[in-house]
Amino acid sequence: MNQADWKNKLALIRDGFLSGLAAADAAALAELETHYLGRKGELTLSLRELKDFPLEERKVLGALGNALKEELAAKLDARKAETGAGAVDLKKSQFDLTLAGYPFAKGSLHPLTLTVDKMCDGFQKLGFSIAQGPLIEEDYFNFEALNFPPDHPARDMQDTFYVDLKDASGKDLMLRTHTSPVQIRTMKTRTPPLRTVSAGRVFRSEAVDASHSFAFHQLEGFCLDRNITMADLKWTLEAFMQDLFGSSAKIAFSPSFFPFVEPGAQAAVSCVFCGSEAACPVCKGTGWIELLGAGVIHPNVIRACGYDPEQWSGFAFGAGIERFAMLLFGIKDMRMFYENDLRILKQL
Amino acid sequence: MKILHSWLMDFIGAELGTDDLAARLTRLGFNIEEIKKTGAAFSGVVVGRIQAIEKHPNADKLSLCEVDTGSEVIKVVCGAKNIAVGQKIPFARVGAALAGGALKKARIRGVDSEGMICSAGELGLEGYDNSGILVLPDCAPVGADAKTLFPKADHVFEVEITPNLAYCLSHYALARELCVFYGLALKKPAVIGASAPEKGIAGITIEAPELCPRYVAVVVRNAAAGTPDWMAARLRAAGVNPKGNLLIDVSNYVMYELGQPIHCFDLAGLSGPEIRVRAARAGETMKTLDNQDLKLAEDMLVIADKNVPVALAGVMGAVAGAVSDSTKDILIESANFAPASIRRTSRKTGIKSESSYRFERGADPELPLYAALRLARLILDCAPGAKVEQITDNYPSKHVPRVIEVSAERINAILGTQIPEKDIFACLKAIQPELKGDRPWQFSVPGYRRDIESVWDIAEEAARYIGYEAIPSVSKMPMMRACAAPSFEVAAELKGRLACLGFSEVYNYDFISLRDFRNCLLNEEEAVSLKNPLSAEFQFLRTAMVAGALKTLSYNLNRGRNSVSIFEVGTVFRKTKNVGETACAVSTCGLIPRKGCRHCEETMCAGLMYGSFPDSEFWRGGSAAADFYHLKGVMNAVFSGCGGFRFEKAKNPPAYFHPGASLEMKLGNSQAGWLGLLNPLVARNSDLKDNQIYYFELPLKALVAAHKPEFWQRAAQVKAVSAFPNIRRDLSVVLEDKFEWADIEAAIAKAPDLSAVQLIDVYKGKNIGENLKSITIRFTFSSMEKTLTDAEINAYINAILLKLSLNFGAKLRA
Repeated sequence: MNQADWKNKLALIRDGFLSGLAAADAAALAELETHYLGRKGELTLSLRELKDFPLEERKVLGALGNALKEELAAKLDARKAETGAGAVDLKKSQFDLTLAGYPFAKGSLHPLTLTVDKMCDGFQKLGFSIAQGPLIEEDYFNFEALNFPPDHPARDMQDTFYVDLKDASGKDLMLRTHTSPVQIRTMKTRTPPLRTVSAGRVFRSEAVDASHSFAFHQLEGFCLDRNITMADLKWTLEAFMQDLFGSSAKIAFSPSFFPFVEPGAQAAVSCVFCGSEAACPVCKGTGWIELLGAGVIHPNVIRACGYDPEQWSGFAFGAGIERFAMLLFGIKDMRMFYENDLRILKQL
Repeated sequence: MKILHSWLMDFIGAELGTDDLAARLTRLGFNIEEIKKTGAAFSGVVVGRIQAIEKHPNADKLSLCEVDTGSEVIKVVCGAKNIAVGQKIPFARVGAALAGGALKKARIRGVDSEGMICSAGELGLEGYDNSGILVLPDCAPVGADAKTLFPKADHVFEVEITPNLAYCLSHYALARELCVFYGLALKKPAVIGASAPEKGIAGITIEAPELCPRYVAVVVRNAAAGTPDWMAARLRAAGVNPKGNLLIDVSNYVMYELGQPIHCFDLAGLSGPEIRVRAARAGETMKTLDNQDLKLAEDMLVIADKNVPVALAGVMGAVAGAVSDSTKDILIESANFAPASIRRTSRKTGIKSESSYRFERGADPELPLYAALRLARLILDCAPGAKVEQITDNYPSKHVPRVIEVSAERINAILGTQIPEKDIFACLKAIQPELKGDRPWQFSVPGYRRDIESVWDIAEEAARYIGYEAIPSVSKMPMMRACAAPSFEVAAELKGRLACLGFSEVYNYDFISLRDFRNCLLNEEEAVSLKNPLSAEFQFLRTAMVAGALKTLSYNLNRGRNSVSIFEVGTVFRKTKNVGETACAVSTCGLIPRKGCRHCEETMCAGLMYGSFPDSEFWRGGSAAADFYHLKGVMNAVFSGCGGFRFEKAKNPPAYFHPGASLEMKLGNSQAGWLGLLNPLVARNSDLKDNQIYYFELPLKALVAAHKPEFWQRAAQVKAVSAFPNIRRDLSVVLEDKFEWADIEAAIAKAPDLSAVQLIDVYKGKNIGENLKSITIRFTFSSMEKTLTDAEINAYINAILLKLSLNFGAKLRA
């Protein structure tokens, strides 16, 4: 074969390729590529024939051949892009896509943990730090400093578990009946302004049923600063509730009693579950869900912690975490929280 | 407290319907737990007389009764067993309005029944035997409207009275509250005039005026009478069973009416006759009205006659001096006692009464005389021959009202409101009509409002008066930075990691039983015990989490699960031998040292792994039995990023771990926890069939101590990686089985340019030889400076081989 023959061959390849290209669909393009540019394609084989030419000729012809190869490859790519086809038939599935994926072990957090975390997060956004306190408490922190004097009937509101240990003054230690002692501990060890929430387990000697348990969880918060009012409390609780239930949530106060606040209030949140239908099972058609106890910190409590109630003021609030968790996760029975049924827990 | 609607309305000069009343009470802070209908709300029911009874032709348990209704005789079907000929019964005609709706004509087992003989329940009557039909008294006239035999239709409100509202523990007091706060006219109940002599019959002496500030005694002769029906009906509605003897029932009536606990003694039963209010004497005993023999202590206040105690003051009367059916003359006691003393006595003796309940909460010192005169009035109304012969008001410690200085600004500053001054004044004036307008106001607290002690209490009154909705939702609180206690952050991080690794968080009770202690090989001597447990099952505080974890395991295995991976973060409690300043290891914000502390409270994370891993089957296979190395891997992942974390062989693991199959975890020099096979004894004791349970526990103490509070301090510092290629070489060597990987790894890990060592295979068995094992180690080399050459790598590998051969006698596997 001489130079002219080879060039002629190249021209034929070009013509053949280009005419094929114009009409090709995705499948034909792949064939075309194999036929001309593949490892045993016409152009590839022609380039291999150059080894038999003298060096000088080889240089010139090689450049020609490579230029053609690039040209064809570029044209092929352009055509591929036009037809939108890859090299493989994408219509045909390679394997059964509906088979299950690998079963990575899925753990879960307890609904009460999820609730506590969300609630703490909500209050942290409002500047409340998170504190913790012991479960075995002293009478002083659990009752006395919280304005439950000894021999006061308010103590009857909380049936207390006592343990076989005594405090320094010889009184029986107890399991805390609420998270409020953390308030006292914080006020006594920190300097105001203070804004704190604390969540944790509390104990009351009550029989277990669908809505009672001898162990349950509370979230307690307080603020101690100058010129704090009940309006600050309402704003704080409303902002918190909106974080949880959406920006239309509202708070309504009604009178209530807790020895460590005065004035005391029950805080209800507008029911987001119904839109005030009479049949709403959550709010029973009242439009309100009672969720928190709250109030202005009682002057006796501020005094017990070593501050002058004429100078310092604050508010405090508390809520049952189970109640929130039941609302949020649609749990109907409090006993579920301690049954630890993985069929339920793994749903979370 | 049970409040009868009509009784309450006796004292209010306006008619309030039940819904209105409920709304008004709720708005003042009274929680209404229930509103119950009471009395006869039915109609169309007459008194009938059963004339004849025959069996129902088609049913064994039914009868046919012929009932005389006065105007006609009707045959009806009846299913009750307590029917008898001659009985007077409530007979409902077709169309009668009953508790369950209008009565329709019925055909029961083929027999027409035009009417019904009713039970108390069918009539909607509460407090009557409802086991069969309601049998009416013989005197009831046949044909009369049965409704006239029962109290009128009414409502009973079950009202929760919190301790701060204890001054409302009666019908009159609750009415007064409504009148004060809603500007209604208050009507006082009728009393007798105080016109009898102060002395003459019974001597009254108060020996302990600090515990008994006031004692009113009224002597009434010829007082015996039966309890009128209207009074009995009201008492029943209030939840008291009337005795029928006026002298017993009337004291209850006055207490529920006015809130003053009051007691009648049989004058003939009082030696002297005299009354001494004094401390009990050592060794003195008393038989209470409910027949308990009490040994009295010197710190108890008693009401005594000349010789013996006739009542435990304010708590309960004694058999001695009690009124009976033969009582003619009485001495009415209406007194005021110090709340703390009553509460102590009540707790010490275990006697709780309606009287002690009210005194504990503080009774009105201005009320006793009025209440005694009210009781006398009621006796005079019911016993025509009765005569009041002595009225003594012994009032040694006269109540001095508390005066509080108040201003509208102060109230508004507490509430965050802008309530006009005149509205706040109106509120205070309603509570204390004698309040003068001069500023600052001097608010004199009425005797019944013991709860008002300061301007904060008055702020609450103002808010109740105006309505809590007046408090706006606005705040000028400054921004504040929030942080979290390290223990909270650490627990949250730990929980998150374990959940990501396939573990489900559980919550168990802190209380366990002695059995749990023994089953789990826990040390009973460390147990903190409850003094008043609910049951033996919940007697002790847990010293370890293991019992709860195993209960959770069993619970889920019994419900069809095969694999369980769980964890719990909770508190464990231990008694300590040493007296500590503060032995508590809970990291608390503001933990105050506890002097002489003999216990320790610690936050613990613990969990177990059982079954297969991953916990559900993959169709391509690859699920393996969960074992030690799975759990070890989990712990590695949990602690990843914690500097100084390592495993060590357990020297003294807790008893519930298998001592030969457990590791200790360390963070630096601190103990960070344990992991390993659960002690098979514990599995067996807990009735678990399989003992391949892998357990771990991580006291949070070490993690919290290592936790850097600031994020920038705990952010992991990144090490640069090589820009040159990594070169990997696998090496298989055979060595004696006794050598442990940790030692081998330690010996070779320090080779130059070695960036990673990984054990990728361990093989024992055929072709290897007795007591030998083959291990394959993957080495990854990389240099920060250049591309390593084959020759360099070969030199490194040869050096490693030499070390393995010298230290462990390892030979390259052929």
